[in-house]
Amino acid sequence: MFKSLKSLSLGVVAAALMAGVAHADVTVYTAGPQSLIDKMSEGFTKETGIKVNVFQATTGKVMARIEAEASNPVVDVLISASWDTATDFEKRGWLVKYSSPNAAKVPDFLKSDYAVAQGISALGIAWNTKSGTPKPTEWADLTKAEYKDMVNIPDPAQSGSSFELTAALAGQDEFKLFKDLQANGAIIAGANAEALNPVLQGAKAAVFGAVDYITLAAKKKGESIDVIFPASGTVIAPRPAMILNWSKNQDEAKKFIDYMLSDAGQKLVAAQMLMPARTDIPADRPLIGDLKLLKFDNAAVYGKRKETLGEITKIFGGK
Amino acid sequence: MAAKSIGGPAPAAWLAIAGLVLVVVVPFVAIVLQAIFPNLGQGSFSGPFSSFIATLNDGALIGMAGNTILLGACVVLASALMAVPLGVFRALYRVPGAALFDVLLLVPFMIPPYIATLGWIMTLQPRGYLQQLLGFNLSPFLFSLAGMTMVMAFNTFPVVYFAVSRTVEAVGARYADVGRVFGATPARAFWRITLPLSAPGLAASLMLVFAAAIEEYGTPAALGRRAGFQVLVTGIDLRISDWPIDLPGASIMSLLLVGLSLVTFLGQRWILSRRSYQTVNGKPTSKDKRPLGALKLPVVLAFSIVSFLATGVPLLSILATALSRTISGGLAFDNLSLDNFLAVFQNSAGALGALANSFSLGIGTALITGLIGVTAAYTVVKTKIRGRLAIDTLTIIPNALPGIVVAVGLILAWNMPWLPVTPYNTGFILLLAYCCILLPQPMRYATAAFQQIGDNLEAAARVFGASGVTAFRRILLPLVFPSLASAMLLVFALASRELVASVVIAPVGMQTIATFIWRQFEQGSIGLGMAMAFIAILITTLLPLTLLALLKRSGLVAE
Repeated sequence: MFKSLKSLSLGVVAAALMAGVAHADVTVYTAGPQSLIDKMSEGFTKETGIKVNVFQATTGKVMARIEAEASNPVVDVLISASWDTATDFEKRGWLVKYSSPNAAKVPDFLKSDYAVAQGISALGIAWNTKSGTPKPTEWADLTKAEYKDMVNIPDPAQSGSSFELTAALAGQDEFKLFKDLQANGAIIAGANAEALNPVLQGAKAAVFGAVDYITLAAKKKGESIDVIFPASGTVIAPRPAMILNWSKNQDEAKKFIDYMLSDAGQKLVAAQMLMPARTDIPADRPLIGDLKLLKFDNAAVYGKRKETLGEITKIFGGK
Repeated sequence: MAAKSIGGPAPAAWLAIAGLVLVVVVPFVAIVLQAIFPNLGQGSFSGPFSSFIATLNDGALIGMAGNTILLGACVVLASALMAVPLGVFRALYRVPGAALFDVLLLVPFMIPPYIATLGWIMTLQPRGYLQQLLGFNLSPFLFSLAGMTMVMAFNTFPVVYFAVSRTVEAVGARYADVGRVFGATPARAFWRITLPLSAPGLAASLMLVFAAAIEEYGTPAALGRRAGFQVLVTGIDLRISDWPIDLPGASIMSLLLVGLSLVTFLGQRWILSRRSYQTVNGKPTSKDKRPLGALKLPVVLAFSIVSFLATGVPLLSILATALSRTISGGLAFDNLSLDNFLAVFQNSAGALGALANSFSLGIGTALITGLIGVTAAYTVVKTKIRGRLAIDTLTIIPNALPGIVVAVGLILAWNMPWLPVTPYNTGFILLLAYCCILLPQPMRYATAAFQQIGDNLEAAARVFGASGVTAFRRILLPLVFPSLASAMLLVFALASRELVASVVIAPVGMQTIATFIWRQFEQGSIGLGMAMAFIAILITTLLPLTLLALLKRSGLVAE
């Protein structure tokens, strides 16, 4: 038996080795959808012959990995789900200046010298059309009696865009909207996917501030769900792509950014129900021009992050 | 006892120490250093201890620590209440369908806790499967400490059940019979003889449950947050997922968790050290079990109810979700679809690769932790070398380290620029992570087994000329093998579904079962994730059972 165990363990070791060793020409860490980065890498490799190695997780987990790797980093291109990352990394001096020729059609507010948006998601009300509740049109609708105990709010501590929405809306009325929501039985329900799941099954009627592309993709699959963008305004989350200054493959990284912003790359973004960063690429969904955006001072909002989250915790009763 | 000095401890001890250093010491030291030196990730040793005050001054910390202990205690209590009676009946009486119940109670091991939790949520929440079938829901119960305790206890009580049924069986009715001969009532014989002699297995398994409960992330995150119930692990996760990342703070809180776990471990050790539990002494024991008599119906009913709740409900919920075309369609015939299962077999999103990766990693982890566990347990229990307690303590540390912290420690340790070769960014780093996290399982089981083996057996072998190695291989190993084998099967199941560390540390481009499922959930493809989960549970249940059956036929494991 020990012989067979030995050969078995050798086999395992060999298999693990084979699975692990793959020398890629460009390493991308992304907080975007896995299927998007898979298709984008495939298209990029086909066009340029450069291989792509991918690590995909949530923004938080990607950042934790970069932070732990800081003494010996391996990531060339980072695609985050929060523009805040790009601002912060730029301040730390971790980014390479690059303006892709394909970024000409990307509006100015979606690019800087160091980062450019891959695509944009927006927040809206995700509403179960079979929930037996009237269709909401405004954020404040969800404080009405029809939605008593039927509203989920994604945790602003776990999602950058949820935080921006919370801060922007709370700034308008000193948290009154959130106090009313709480009085109406709304709860903070984990990260984005966790907040949406109960609404799909019907345990809840609506998500207050759901990430639109996941909801739209679910609708496309046949779920009885819809996204409503309130006319009073919402927030968008541009997803910045950036090249890290420790990258040893900066030319390949630049080519990857070029491909991401090419017609083919942007069509892949649109196919995920995200808004493409380039304004000249059509998408089967409401685009930035169709949305009213809430006005808020980004720096001030992030400066008061801890206080805002603390107030929300107080309202929704964390023990 | 003089007999303990016989034997050849050296090879086993060295192997155990080398393995422990590689698997446990390296990441643990990295975490301790990170806690002390906040800028370790940048390769700098500046500002030692500067994070301690800020982290420990956090007012929420005491509440989180209290909640952690409360939850751990509740889960231990609930697990013991369910598992001990069932385990004792299984060991001492002829329970009809015992083999079937063993399999059914094995399945909860194979269901990843976060999947089981999601299954319970989808069953009990308003308009969930329970309401669709019977018209009512149990949402207020589920999202409370009681609900969390129930879900976690159903997930962990099999550890206690199998430990109790195996050790009580090993103690056998023989010792109790001696008590009966001397006039004890059956109840008295059980309480004064059988139960105390089974203490090593029971205590070890309850400690594993406690450690697993305070380290568990998925269930408190999904159920507890809604009840405003924060535990240390969810606090640690928040520090790691929330930009700016606070690795030193997370490390310090993890050390707190390790401290908690060590206290329970030392408590368990103290209880066990007060007397001898040797019951396996080479004399033949009769394995005849008693008939249940009038208790037959209630006992079978209890087994059935527990099996249904622990295995049936989560599995059915997973299957129902996997077979639904859309979640909002609910339980309806026109919503029935095999699309999700087809998608897995068509290798959509790399599903088949993820299965292969996880199962090879699971097998590798089981073999390595089994080897380290059995040699370390032998060194601790059967030799008198110096530093035994240190070895024993080392094997308990990972029990309390949250997976995500192990991952961070491994990155810190193995991604240093001056290392000529490194497992980082290869599959080996996952193997190291799983070995570290799961080593306590084989170690605890093997220790309990060694504690029940009389020293005279090894001594007898040595008298008849066997070398230390031969005595270990021919006498001791076969005697602990049943315990070790079940621990290794458990490791295989746990490793092939590990999520929290895998998400952070998986090498670029490599998926495991758990990261695949997690990504599907994140993208809103709950059905596809559940289909994958169901297939994985099926394989992790059937594979070990087939293996056990083969081993039994070859005579390595007793019936």
